[in-house]
Amino acid sequence: MSFTVLKAGLQTTLQGAPFTGHRYLGMPAAGAADCLSLALANFLVGKSFDAIAIEITLTDALFQMNEPCSVAVVGAAEYVRINGHAHPQHQTLKVMAGDRVDIGPSRPGCRTYVAISAEINADRLLGGQSTYLAAALGGFHGRALRKDDIISFAPDSPVTDVERFTPQNLKLHYSDDHVLRIIRGPEAANAKAGVLDDLCVSTYAVGARANRMGLALEGPPLNASDSSNMPSAAVFPGTIQLPPSGQPYLLGPDAQTTGGYPRIAQVIRADRHLIGQLGSGSRIQFVQTTTERATEIYREKLSLLSSWLGQIKLW
Amino acid sequence: MADDEPAIHVCDDWINLTFLDWKAVRAAQIALSADKYWTEIVPGLDSIAIQFDPALVSPDEAVTMIRDQLHHAAPVSNKTNILVTIPVCYDADLAPDREYVARELGITAEALPSWHASRLQRVAMLGFMPGFAYLESAACPAIDRLANPRQLVKAGSIGIIGRQSCIYSFDSPGGWPIIGRTPLRLFDPAKTQPALLSAGATVRFESISKEAFDHWPQEAEE
Repeated sequence: MSFTVLKAGLQTTLQGAPFTGHRYLGMPAAGAADCLSLALANFLVGKSFDAIAIEITLTDALFQMNEPCSVAVVGAAEYVRINGHAHPQHQTLKVMAGDRVDIGPSRPGCRTYVAISAEINADRLLGGQSTYLAAALGGFHGRALRKDDIISFAPDSPVTDVERFTPQNLKLHYSDDHVLRIIRGPEAANAKAGVLDDLCVSTYAVGARANRMGLALEGPPLNASDSSNMPSAAVFPGTIQLPPSGQPYLLGPDAQTTGGYPRIAQVIRADRHLIGQLGSGSRIQFVQTTTERATEIYREKLSLLSSWLGQIKLW
Repeated sequence: MADDEPAIHVCDDWINLTFLDWKAVRAAQIALSADKYWTEIVPGLDSIAIQFDPALVSPDEAVTMIRDQLHHAAPVSNKTNILVTIPVCYDADLAPDREYVARELGITAEALPSWHASRLQRVAMLGFMPGFAYLESAACPAIDRLANPRQLVKAGSIGIIGRQSCIYSFDSPGGWPIIGRTPLRLFDPAKTQPALLSAGATVRFESISKEAFDHWPQEAEE
């Protein structure tokens, strides 16, 4: 009852729901960087939208299933092959013991999710099982998967026997160009006037410093105010900080819980799953919106998704 | 009183309140913590952020609820804080920046343990890593962070930049000058209370020998 990692790739981790309710203790969210792709993959194998699955980053990866089960692949991968034969994403795929599932590199986009019908064993803490790499907690020994790792399934895993295809209108478009909607952050007013207009008027590119903790953005430097006296305050995934360099920094799912740089903007919750598809070289156009509109957008998106996925939450 | 009203900033799924002092932050944290709609309540040094699920609560509704809950906040004083004693070994092996810090403070390296242990500290907030504590104590000369942060600071290390100290909860990179190490585990996710410290707690450091550090009993699993 397991699968074996034959090729792990750059950073492959077990991710599902984020940790919640423990940020005051310094515990970040972690969890799937692109929660929408995760939810779509999980639904195709009959699992809860936030169940633990395999998150693959940028490069290709290869797994051998040691048990008959169903798998589903949703994400940025260029191809999916089982025993060398091409298979589509977005549908339930039956595999036999010994089958090799080959996930292509992300092209375009950054992350791909492989959901498995069996229950993947992962370390349990604080009500969650996702991997938080910096403190080596959760997932598979708190670390990224390596070649020859054997990941076991829970012995009494219910064998779900669904066969599903994601409806065409819910398939995500993977791209290296993204529009992210933002609202003003608490320190937007302290930064020099018009800082959000400046942020939204240019396209920003994701720099080389890009990981689950955050993304350094490159573009016309913004007018940073002197922030040396800013008392540290809470930050969240999707918060955009403005360090003295003037190059904004967009926080990801593993971002620490507090920070000392001005929080000039916040990516709205409805768009935050897209952060998981941003890698070095991705381009971002920021668009400013209001909290009222952001709430409407989020509720409309949930309503559209729940017609297919049932009860769902994004984070 | 209008002066006590926090400055409110509203994002789509979290709200930031900025207060005048840490006591108001702590009082707000306690007053808000009973509400199940708040998915996160995160104190900063002079602020608190409250996160909610916008499918269930709109930002406007959240502001109204928060205002109402703050009206019922009870004042917090130093006396209500819990006191935690933390053993620290200030031995040179575990304190690579002992000489540097002592020099900046104008005392001898030998006097540093009793100087540091004599200062009561308040946990200002947790952050950076799970269980990582930022502490504040009485005014004293400021000490610069290391020009080149270390790639590896061991868990339990005590850093200091003057009136602010910190305790590293996990092995991690870090730039605070290190003056000692505690054998205690700052974060244990298996425990009902995973973090040893929490915002508002008072901390007293107690100097222990290297031998005591090496033989410190490991806590039993809960």
